[in-house]
Amino acid sequence: MSSVGQLALLFIGAALINNILLTRFIGLCPFFGVSSNMETSIGMSLSVIFVMVMASTATWVAWEFILAPLGVGEFLYIPAFILIIASLVQFVEMYLRKASPVLYRAMGIYLPLITTNCAVLATATEAAKPGFFKMNIALGASLGLGEALVYTLGVSVGFGFALITFAALRERLELAPVSRLMKGTPIAFITAGLLSLAYVGMSGWFGL
Amino acid sequence: MSEWFRVFRQGLGIENPLTVLMIGLCATLAVSTQFQNALFMGLAVIFVLVMSNVLISVFRKAIPSEVRIPIFIVVIASFVTIVDLVMKAFVPSVYGVLGIWIPLIVVNCVILGRAEAFAYHNEVGLSIADGLGMGIGYSTVIVLLAVIRELLGTGKIIWFDSTLISLPAGYAPPSLFLLFPGAFLVFAFMIVGARWINERTEARKEGPACRV
Repeated sequence: MSSVGQLALLFIGAALINNILLTRFIGLCPFFGVSSNMETSIGMSLSVIFVMVMASTATWVAWEFILAPLGVGEFLYIPAFILIIASLVQFVEMYLRKASPVLYRAMGIYLPLITTNCAVLATATEAAKPGFFKMNIALGASLGLGEALVYTLGVSVGFGFALITFAALRERLELAPVSRLMKGTPIAFITAGLLSLAYVGMSGWFGL
Repeated sequence: MSEWFRVFRQGLGIENPLTVLMIGLCATLAVSTQFQNALFMGLAVIFVLVMSNVLISVFRKAIPSEVRIPIFIVVIASFVTIVDLVMKAFVPSVYGVLGIWIPLIVVNCVILGRAEAFAYHNEVGLSIADGLGMGIGYSTVIVLLAVIRELLGTGKIIWFDSTLISLPAGYAPPSLFLLFPGAFLVFAFMIVGARWINERTEARKEGPACRV
């Protein structure tokens, strides 16, 4: 088990320095899809945090107790993990609809979309099979469940933070005079480029 | 046959997955740092897209619509695993760089999107046309993006060990183009270019942004 300091570094590294959206290009579809509105991006961020933590737990358990002991992980991990995530999300959706209508109203419509979000697959795979995606060089050969959860929480909070910042920028951009060909997505990409420049500036902190 | 070419051409121009529909962006921006990687990524996407389109189109009447998404994902995941293992065996140097992005083709919305929007409702011949058109449209954009980024960012274009093109010696390459911000900036201007071209041909259609 790692010390609190190591866990804090793991969290910061995953959330800010190796931000999944702006320095890894993972999960860009919701980044451009839902970021035109502040309210939807907050809902999306919360759902991603929720689903990612659940998915990482599930893939970690599957890898540790089923795939790795049987020796089939190397060639079965892609279908196995995506199936786990897809069915998990489906169950969560059904459970939330029955158990917590308030939560369902806040996150319901985003849950099916998250199934095919590469950020979730990437993070869940990284948490179960660390080092594979080279997403965070601070990770060791393998993670305990606690570390995997801290890592996942870091990634998903970083995702939410970047998404909400970007949504705030885009809402203001709506009012700005932008030339006809540039309006909409192109100017959003340029904004994302500048935002990602800020994140690139953080690389190398704490040797991460 | 004219219908076949109409479907084929849509993917290249007015329904180009990257510059018009804006789906499958993650991998595009990430692997387009080198011409060589982009080309292999494009080939992998064409293969998976055509094969999954064919299989889903053949079995479209047998797949119940309630469970179609998991079935699509499993079909796609199998073809992606084939690509993953083949690339690892035959072009290990490329696989080392592409690494993460090959498994992530599974959740690339271009492929799932075409399975859902086209192959599930159309016959095999047209689905091949759609897969080829979308795949080649995707590859053209990703290769073009990679050529611009590699040429501006390193001053030359490399194919394995040989240099294909190099800029004059006085050129000091700004590495910004190889980094993440460069990808966003160059791609923004490519969308502007594609909009301009589509507007000129007066076939521009408003495509939905990817909601996945």
